[in-house]
Amino acid sequence: MFSRQISLISTLLLFSWLVTGCAFLDTDVDVRADQSEENPVVIEEISIDIATDQIDQSNENDRNKITQNVTGDEAFNAVLLPKFMGISVFDKANEGAADAARSLRQPFPAFVGPTSSNSTQGQIEILNDAVTHGYDAVLISNNGGDEISAAAQAATEAGVTVITWDSPIPSAVGESVFVAQVDFDETGLVMAEMAHNILDGRGQIAILSAGRDAANQNAWIAAMETVLINDPKYQELEIVDTAYGNDNFSISYSTAINLANNYPDLDLIMAPTTVGIQAAAQAMQDEGLCQTVKTSGLGLPDEMVPHMIEGCVPQFALWSFNDLGYLAYYLAYHLTVGNIEPEVGETFFAGRLGRFTIEEDPTREQGLRVLMGSFTIYKEQDLLWQ
Amino acid sequence: MNRKSLIDRLLQWETLLAIIFVVVVLINISLSPFYLSLQNQVNLFHLSIEKIIVALVMTLIIINAEIDLSVASIMGLAACVFAFVWDDGFTLGTAISAALLVGALAGAINGFFVAYVGLPSLVVTLAGLIAYRGLARVLVEDRSIGDFPEGFDALGQDPLFGPLTFGIILFFIGLAIMIVVLQRSGFGRKTYVVGNSIEVAEYSGVNAKRLKMILFILSGLVSAIAGILIAARLGAVRGSTAEGFELDIITMVLLGGVSIFGGSGTLTGVGLAILIILNMRNGMSLANVSGNAQTGVIGLLLILSVLVPNLLQWVQTKLNDPRTSGQT
Repeated sequence: MFSRQISLISTLLLFSWLVTGCAFLDTDVDVRADQSEENPVVIEEISIDIATDQIDQSNENDRNKITQNVTGDEAFNAVLLPKFMGISVFDKANEGAADAARSLRQPFPAFVGPTSSNSTQGQIEILNDAVTHGYDAVLISNNGGDEISAAAQAATEAGVTVITWDSPIPSAVGESVFVAQVDFDETGLVMAEMAHNILDGRGQIAILSAGRDAANQNAWIAAMETVLINDPKYQELEIVDTAYGNDNFSISYSTAINLANNYPDLDLIMAPTTVGIQAAAQAMQDEGLCQTVKTSGLGLPDEMVPHMIEGCVPQFALWSFNDLGYLAYYLAYHLTVGNIEPEVGETFFAGRLGRFTIEEDPTREQGLRVLMGSFTIYKEQDLLWQ
Repeated sequence: MNRKSLIDRLLQWETLLAIIFVVVVLINISLSPFYLSLQNQVNLFHLSIEKIIVALVMTLIIINAEIDLSVASIMGLAACVFAFVWDDGFTLGTAISAALLVGALAGAINGFFVAYVGLPSLVVTLAGLIAYRGLARVLVEDRSIGDFPEGFDALGQDPLFGPLTFGIILFFIGLAIMIVVLQRSGFGRKTYVVGNSIEVAEYSGVNAKRLKMILFILSGLVSAIAGILIAARLGAVRGSTAEGFELDIITMVLLGGVSIFGGSGTLTGVGLAILIILNMRNGMSLANVSGNAQTGVIGLLLILSVLVPNLLQWVQTKLNDPRTSGQT
């Protein structure tokens, strides 16, 4: 009798462990999310609490009132949805969006994303749940193609503002406005120009991209190819191959080594992805190939400077992901509040970044965009100055 | 006697799943005020409808002591074949038939190698996972094919009957059929017998090879149906459609108490496991838990689902041991 009771109790204990284990996992995540917000000023924390209370109450009354008439007092709740979690540029975009929320005195946006193995399906689920949750806006960096359109369309119809940043919905269906970090054609030109500078106008280039499906990567590579073909200045630069590292460090690392092995005359690996460029630079450095095969592309200064000092990465470019998140948040806020409509010619003020105008997106058949700005090009010479 | 059967019943896997389910629901209710809304409850099924439909037939496969890792690739391949044929200007009916045919054929290839050549299904369907996915990618390349007729998209996206979508209705019809087949028909009994011991089954005159062949064809066909459903739900298809779904599907079945060694398991258990996983994911998503943490929790759940039944068996043997029960 006694042993029966013990076995029963221990089994039940095991299950309570399971349940509380899950609860702990939840709080773990929450705590980390809180810490990453750079200790906001206490006064603002209070205002956020009040704001959240308000939306809870007003939720029960009338949700439409909020979306139609958000003033400084009423809370604007947004979800920042990256391609997937665990990539530093998206964390930076989240910091920027949180900055924008702070200056607009709104609650911090929820920063939720899928895993890289489940990205498209995961993004659709999060978008659907955001509607259920009653969020006012969803800010998406689209990882798939048009698969997210139906969910985005449904969200828009439910009164949620859906904007994209970093990577748009190709057909623009379901998306209100796309915040383009840079002009996609300019990306091609910048990459061609960097290659030209590094190689003195002549040599073999291999491209190391992220995924085959990434709309932004493909557009940039196509733009670079167009520039190389059409401008006689670049006629002695040749793209020998385009390989994919799936924005995974170890896959990108081995892909870079394969490229160097397959093309003995290779002079440059051009990686328009922050994961790819770091992996390629590390691979060339580890293999002792930095003097023959240079790396360039789009990279984060923090990560690239060590490789620049080693002479592996003479030049690279990037825009500020912090600003991108900041601008996306401001745009979503103004659209939701009703200060602007998603139409060509509407202008809005985005805090420290200044004034922006909504225009037609020339890189897609249809769709609207806000163009953030141009590149910062980081060069070896500048580094020596510092 | 009465008390003993009560304890036995309490220790049954399905009962424990039901308890976990209730706990998950209670936690979800406390986490989010939106959880109980009808729209959310429908969404919860709608967003994973393809997986849970395939989980039904996966239950039969695993009870039969086999496994089919290629289901998600067949889903992708069928979706791509459908989109490719439609894009070529054929009618909707032709495109759907072509996709179903390809699915059944892919299943038949798996079945042939497993049942008649005698290779382990783990290897055969792993090859299928890679090959069918490769075919799908070759077929549509890096494109995304969309622009299906509006009625077709609506079938995947809009409610058909009350708040229920076509896929959800299909799932419940499928569940009812599978319960009858598995628990009330000769085919179901044979599935268990072959799963328990193929030698015993063949000795008693069961045609195990044919049974396995039928199961794999069924698996391919149902996966193809799921593939067409996902094409309708998303409104666009690409080579990577449904990639990685096989693990979620197998997780649901194993958590449902179906033994990975075959021969035991019920659809009640699998149904409860589906409810638990869907509700857990939904709750975590509503509470803004990121995808990485969600995967971790589901993984933990699966480990427990393998550990606990063994532990329970050990407890039960102890309880039934005449030496210990004699003392009470």
